[in-house]
Amino acid sequence: MPKTSIRTKNLSKTYGNKTVVSNVSINLPYGGFFGVLGKNGAGKTTFLAMLMGLITPSEGEIFIFDKSLKFHKYEILKNINFQSPYVDLPKKITVMQNLIFYARLYDVVDTKKKILKLSEDLFIKDLLNNIYGTLSSGQKTRVNLCKALLNDPKLLLLDEPTASLDVSTSEFIRKYIKKFQKKNNSTILITSHNLEEIEKLCSHIILLEKGKIKFDGKKNELFKQSKSSSLKDIFLKDDK
Amino acid sequence: MINRIIALLIRYKNISFGSFPRLLSIFYWPTVQILFWGYFTNFFMSNESFGIWSALNIILSAVVLWDVLFRGQLGLTMSFFEELWSRNLPNLFITPLKDIEMVYGLILISLIRTLIGITPAIFFANYFFDFHLFELGLYLIFLFLNLIIFGWSIGFIVSGLVLRYGQAFEELAWAIIFIILPFSCVYYPLDSLPTLVQGIALFLPTVHIFETMRLILIENKIILNNVFIIIFLNLFYLILSILFFLKMISIARKRGLLFNQGE
Repeated sequence: MPKTSIRTKNLSKTYGNKTVVSNVSINLPYGGFFGVLGKNGAGKTTFLAMLMGLITPSEGEIFIFDKSLKFHKYEILKNINFQSPYVDLPKKITVMQNLIFYARLYDVVDTKKKILKLSEDLFIKDLLNNIYGTLSSGQKTRVNLCKALLNDPKLLLLDEPTASLDVSTSEFIRKYIKKFQKKNNSTILITSHNLEEIEKLCSHIILLEKGKIKFDGKKNELFKQSKSSSLKDIFLKDDK
Repeated sequence: MINRIIALLIRYKNISFGSFPRLLSIFYWPTVQILFWGYFTNFFMSNESFGIWSALNIILSAVVLWDVLFRGQLGLTMSFFEELWSRNLPNLFITPLKDIEMVYGLILISLIRTLIGITPAIFFANYFFDFHLFELGLYLIFLFLNLIIFGWSIGFIVSGLVLRYGQAFEELAWAIIFIILPFSCVYYPLDSLPTLVQGIALFLPTVHIFETMRLILIENKIILNNVFIIIFLNLFYLILSILFFLKMISIARKRGLLFNQGE
């Protein structure tokens, strides 16, 4: 088992004169839930995108499972997956066709069996033959999560996993992700504006502010350091 | 009421004139139509010796083969645009899919789409107009392959531009083929064009392809030199366009564009 899941060294991203992520160095152990927090424009999404190779860093290095992302990209990507409400699947084809496509890209063995098992777990079995574009946002989120779990990722990146979902669907998603993490000992990195969600799931918090790390450590340390009892308090205090 | 109409007018003006490709398409079309039909009429007026059926056969062969180029290019760009329109690019590029594998996938789907699209057209033309495209014999396969390859080259350039510069360039996917149409000598020979334009047109493989087609249909002969020029130009443009497309993906990664594309 690798020692670290994610290690970044002086990671920066600059667009022209604008620095979006600045000198971020983190070292996350293998396995567990990690939350990335920050206000709008703090650089969370850019940071996540760099970890997946979607955005090339301007400076710095990224190591996933102790291997350089620059030199072992495709080997690493086999074990990563991602879900975001801002990223869709092709709308004109069925859920099943979408899932089979991604299962092939990840070289999933026994594709149909895997899809059926996940779709049963996520209550989307009845939707498999539906056209993806006709689904509600709650249904789409569950289908996207199914796509994100197809390759049993060792590193799962979730961008606002429960955005625009009702309370019960959100709770279901959280429980399911927790169960998945426990079973696979995966590393799950979450960004969310739902602070309660991060508080419930994550023991380790990375706080970004204007692209820089403001805090990186245990959740309890953050509470202690900021003399607050919740993440919401910390953000509200900051605003004052 | 007037205010609302003016508001609409300003809005449509901004959309129509807001990008170079859209602006180009507005003034380009009338010019293209005039040039194209002018050269076309000149050629057939000066070749009255053609019987109506041989003239029709030449025109229909050119229509079908030109459509191969159009379908080839469209099959590639539309397949790529589907990924953009459905905001699916991040999902795609975080998989172990290599950029070059995407290139192969797009080429294959374009080939399949073109074959499916063009086959019924050939049979209908054969049935209704006694049209014999197969008179081109084995050369038909050569011409077909080279036209679709040039379609791919154009498709990769357009897809790369859209990825890099955004949706304003989508218009090019439909327009670019017709931009090169008058210079491709599809329905008239190269010497119908002004001398200066001929020099530029010679760099297009389509010119040599359609000259070859006419030579086979009219004189039943082929110039080997033309065949080599077609192969050389096509390979050159295909390699160049694929490198351009791959470079645009790399720039999109640097500029964070893979995350911000969509309808």
